[in-house]
Amino acid sequence: MTPFEPVLTKGLGEFDLADIDVYESRGGFSALRKALREMTPDAVVSEVSASNLRGRGGAGFPTGKKWSFLPKDGRPRYLVCNCDEAEPGTFKDRMLLEKTPLQIIEGLLISAYAIQANEIIMYIRGEFLEGFRVFKNALDAVRSRGYVGDKVAGSDFSIDILLHRGAGAYICGEETALLNSVEGKRGEPRLKPPFPANAGLYGMPTVVNNVETVAFVPHIITRGAKWFASIGPSSSPGPKIVSVSGHVQRPGNYEIPLGISIRELIDEYAGGLRPGRRVKAIQPGGGSSAAIFEEDLDTGYDYESLAAKRTMLGSGAVVVMDDTACLVRSSMTLVRFFEKESCGQCTPCREGGQWVHRLVARLEAGEGTDADLRILNTINTTITGTNLCPLGDSIMPFLSSVLKRFPDEFAAHVKLARCPLGAGSSESAA
Amino acid sequence: MAKKTPARPNVKVVIDGNEISVPEGTLVVDAAKVIGTHIPVYCSHPKLDPAGLCRICLVEIEKMPKLQIACATRVTEGMVVHTSTARVAEARRGVLEFLLLNHPLDCPICDKGGECDLQDYTMSYGAGASRLTEPKLHKPKRVDLGPTIVLDEERCILCRRCTRFDDEIAQERNLIVAERGHKSLISTRDGGGYRSYFSGNTTEICPVGALTSKAYRFRSRPWDLGRADSVCTQCSVGCNFRIDTRFGHVMRTFTRENPEVDDGWLCDRGRYTFNYMYSPARLRQPLVRRDGEHRPASFDEALAYAAQRLGAAAAAGKVGVIGGGRLSDEEAFALQTFAREVLGTNNIDYRTHIQRFASPARFGASLADIDDADLVLVFGTFTPEQAPVLDLRLRRAVARRGAKLMHIGPYKPDYPVAVQHVEYPPGAIAELMEQLADTVHHGREESGDGFVADIAQQLVDAEKIVAIHNGRNVAGAASLERLMETLARYDHQVGILVVGAMGNARGAEAAGCVPNLGPGYAEVHGAPGMTTTQMLAAASSGELDALVVVGANPALTGADGTLARAAFERVGFLMAVDLFMTETASHADVVFAAASFAEKQGHTTNLEGRRQAFVQAVEPPVGVYTDSQILASLATALGKPNAVRADADELFVDLLAAEARAMAARPKDAPLPRPSIAEAPSSTADQVDATHRRLMICPIPHLYAGGGAAAHDPGLAEMRPKPYAVFSIADASRIGVVTGERVRLSGPGGTIEVEARVGDQAPVGVALVLADMPEAPENKLLEETGFGWATVEKVAQAREASA
Amino acid sequence: MTPAREAKGKALVAAHHDGQSALIPFLQYCQEEDGYVTPAALDDAATLTGLTRGEVESIASFYSLLFQRPIGKHVIQVCRTLACMLGGADELRAHAKARLGVTDGGTTSDGMFTYEEVECLAACDKAPCLQHNLRYHYDVTPAEFDRLLEQWKRERPDAAMPAE
Repeated sequence: MTPFEPVLTKGLGEFDLADIDVYESRGGFSALRKALREMTPDAVVSEVSASNLRGRGGAGFPTGKKWSFLPKDGRPRYLVCNCDEAEPGTFKDRMLLEKTPLQIIEGLLISAYAIQANEIIMYIRGEFLEGFRVFKNALDAVRSRGYVGDKVAGSDFSIDILLHRGAGAYICGEETALLNSVEGKRGEPRLKPPFPANAGLYGMPTVVNNVETVAFVPHIITRGAKWFASIGPSSSPGPKIVSVSGHVQRPGNYEIPLGISIRELIDEYAGGLRPGRRVKAIQPGGGSSAAIFEEDLDTGYDYESLAAKRTMLGSGAVVVMDDTACLVRSSMTLVRFFEKESCGQCTPCREGGQWVHRLVARLEAGEGTDADLRILNTINTTITGTNLCPLGDSIMPFLSSVLKRFPDEFAAHVKLARCPLGAGSSESAA
Repeated sequence: MAKKTPARPNVKVVIDGNEISVPEGTLVVDAAKVIGTHIPVYCSHPKLDPAGLCRICLVEIEKMPKLQIACATRVTEGMVVHTSTARVAEARRGVLEFLLLNHPLDCPICDKGGECDLQDYTMSYGAGASRLTEPKLHKPKRVDLGPTIVLDEERCILCRRCTRFDDEIAQERNLIVAERGHKSLISTRDGGGYRSYFSGNTTEICPVGALTSKAYRFRSRPWDLGRADSVCTQCSVGCNFRIDTRFGHVMRTFTRENPEVDDGWLCDRGRYTFNYMYSPARLRQPLVRRDGEHRPASFDEALAYAAQRLGAAAAAGKVGVIGGGRLSDEEAFALQTFAREVLGTNNIDYRTHIQRFASPARFGASLADIDDADLVLVFGTFTPEQAPVLDLRLRRAVARRGAKLMHIGPYKPDYPVAVQHVEYPPGAIAELMEQLADTVHHGREESGDGFVADIAQQLVDAEKIVAIHNGRNVAGAASLERLMETLARYDHQVGILVVGAMGNARGAEAAGCVPNLGPGYAEVHGAPGMTTTQMLAAASSGELDALVVVGANPALTGADGTLARAAFERVGFLMAVDLFMTETASHADVVFAAASFAEKQGHTTNLEGRRQAFVQAVEPPVGVYTDSQILASLATALGKPNAVRADADELFVDLLAAEARAMAARPKDAPLPRPSIAEAPSSTADQVDATHRRLMICPIPHLYAGGGAAAHDPGLAEMRPKPYAVFSIADASRIGVVTGERVRLSGPGGTIEVEARVGDQAPVGVALVLADMPEAPENKLLEETGFGWATVEKVAQAREASA
Repeated sequence: MTPAREAKGKALVAAHHDGQSALIPFLQYCQEEDGYVTPAALDDAATLTGLTRGEVESIASFYSLLFQRPIGKHVIQVCRTLACMLGGADELRAHAKARLGVTDGGTTSDGMFTYEEVECLAACDKAPCLQHNLRYHYDVTPAEFDRLLEQWKRERPDAAMPAE
């Protein structure tokens, strides 16, 4: 196992990191004080840029660069924290929210200072009611200690955090949809350009950062950009919390140095497969990512290596399917997900996504035809790459990848009119 | 300050190998039009913000790996665009396949067939056959969306043009998208009716047959339609439209986009008011009253009778002519010619409403001036009811460009965009304008009154100011001009629009249908004649023996209805020319049946003073003639065969010549003369009664009020209001009435019974009464000033009192 | 609007950037009070925020945790996405529906339990999982579901969808 000391999850499980006394006794808020007292906002931006931290929500955009896009035009600025985690297979942000809310808050405060934000909005997925309550308590404690509000930690910087609960829509994880939701509108993505840096919340310069991303900021301040950049591959360094689930013995969140092999991740961290089983397919980067297969196990788990395998790291959610998994049914859960969560604005996602679900559902139920397979094999080019936002582009990748790799499994559903693995149909089970 | 858009430099762009130069930031879809390339679009519309929803406009742009939507991508220097590559073709085919997937095969019964963008683009860019092998998904069909529209959710492609129109243009936000994903539906507030004066526009901008007009459903196919370019005459905005006919029958109207007037929109009154032409109540032959009853007569019989009586009255110098505001420019000219050359009188007046003049003497504005105004002052009129498409410009200026809008007057109705209400007694507007002019000139310190200083400050802060009023208050208009003059001296841009009470009020005025002015505002020969009010008073007292009323209905619309009705009852001879048996025509001794606007050609002049031509769309029914034909025949019967021409073209030539002469005789840039105003008897009708025993009656307009076309068009029946009056909460308490109960308003001239509505739209002491409703004519209560008094009782009480 | 609701609404508007930004929190509050988002709550929201009633409906109908139909005192939401499916969610779903006698989205005839099949709840390591009144339950086998159901039947929850 590659030696590595956890950063975000250090002490988790052992200590109550939601308790402000515990958090402070372990060095909490010292990074905030350092940033406020010893660094200018621009210096903080430079440090984060130098660290090469990439957004941990799924898009992987360099954080420092995103911060530097804000125009210096005097308009009010917003820092919005995206805790709308809903990508299938991802459960790291919920853990951070429930278990180390103070780390998130400290990261938000430093980030807000860096970009000179006027307000922080913390957007918490509606289903995360428990996490919302934990975070709110933590925020109250932080406020009573003077770290939030007027003159943070005795400095000239004043900032407050507004909590906003989502109301049930995966698409609100897309940054412009999230902004619309905060504004009290339908959570539908906006056309880009303009980008949030110029016209974000209420049309003002805005940065949207993922929870995990901001949680790294205090550590980068304390230990330096060089330290962060030295972990893992230089182009996408740092630790990453990976959510591992599916057919592994120890599913869970694991903080790893980016770049370790997927094999190490599954075997060393997640306890490996169940006895006697083999890897059939792995979805390495959340529900929008294409599958990789047994021959890919030695690929490094990092942004570039996965991109080279024509998939992506995405939100850092690894779902393992062993040889007992029916890939048609697995695909079906995903296309059904995207149909349900489509906002409905644009044609290919709305109409095409619904059609693909109907086709795959019939296949899965044993009512599919060869014509259906031909459609699924050709529909990729008109659904993918033609949409207003990434959701539409997420419908096909997994399905296309497993269809290409396991065409016989799909064909068998047609020929046998049921799953060759004897899995039965999802809906007939239901 | 309202936002201004700065000019942009041109950039070089290559589209399909053609190099063009267009302003930077032009949308690719618009840039392509420069070379005549039409990129297919659904959600994109030139008047709506880019939405990027339908994805059919995807094109290839070099240096961008993914296809880009042409409707929302803006050109930059050196951009190279390809609109018809294989990749683009496949993308279009894909989008069409997805749209057609669950789209119902309704073409044979869908009104849009033949003018449907889905049909057209499928033919051009779609695949030949569907790959769907399962049942199509169903959604609600035939959703009754309100008085005018039917919605078919299955046909809807969710381009959202309709909801975006309702949001960005009409600003009413009653059409919404409900649910999400492929379950999305177009809906209305709580699933109820789509009530808007602009609903019909959605049927035009809907690219498919999802939104269809009830008035046109299942009635025609576009390839059967003849088209006539026409101008709407229902109000004084003069929207350009097209009258579509099938086998000589009017089927529908359609916008004929004029960016300077209607900008591509129509209001529902203009769009849907044409079936009155086929109403059984329409007059189709002359009527002559004998023994108290109207009986059909031949044209010659009616002509002879009228000529005999009018000839006698004219010889005695005791005849008057009322009308012109609902005629074309040519016919208004013919009418004044008839009065002056044939009847030998200057007693002619088009003013049959409270409006006294139709043009601003100076500082005339254009409709486009509203677009970049910083401040718009409105008084005496409520533009959503009296000039709806003008109001769309106002709403846009307020909501999109930050223009300030101010309503000055007693009426505070709900309004879709931000408006500042300045409650002010209607008769005293002149005083306010004077104070404002003084304050602007001398500075804020001069003004003692808080809100006057506030308005003055807003004027001073505004670079461009437009004032809109109803041409009723002469003193007010003069003071307004003084205010505008003061502002202009301080380098503000200013403009005035006078909303006409009738479609062609301004044209009638300019053609000489006024007692003291001839065509082109020329001075008349001899002493000026009587105004409408004077003629009615004179007819009442026997001073006039005969009246001719052409296309007018003073019994209903006149300021003093009591006087009008008395005049028509007592006058020796009354001749009316109209399409219906109006309140006025019912008193007439001879009634001639007139042709409607669709049945003749000519010109009409809108409130800007813009003259616009309209073409004949259909033939009038046999036996029905145009007003000019009737007047020409009458002239002949009166012994002056060439005095009035029947033909519109010939009349137009004569009118232009007369106008040219008038203009030559007038100094350049001189303000337009005003029509003469009779001195109104002094009245306290525009002051609130402090004892609360009586309420001041203030008429309020409604788009669908009226006694002519609007009352007889079956398509408008559902939209006609029931007569009502609005009371303040304090007054309602005193009367003892709540919304929905009936009240009786009694004045010296008569009594009307209406439904009460209680709210804060009405000031204390004022009852706002719906105007021009034949069932309850408010002008029974009005004096010539246009205001009046009434005592108000709840109807149950009134019945008790009389028991 | 009751005075209490109006006060709460105004407080929310004051705490947010503008009226519309307070819309969803306000609707969540009304939903907690009334059990679901009633037509009256939609009207109140329109009054409070200055939006039209239609706009409020359009926005509310977008979000799956805002219910514009009456729901039970208990709302059971079972995840059906990939990891939970791999962990046995399909069997759980069949079992739950049979046990409750409802289909997806339905409410039991006594009005107590509303059952919904939902998408990834971010508890994939403890699949299959469900939420009961927005509280997580993990590793829910059919037997575990039966146990939980008995427990819930004895509970009197304050609100199915708490606002905070």
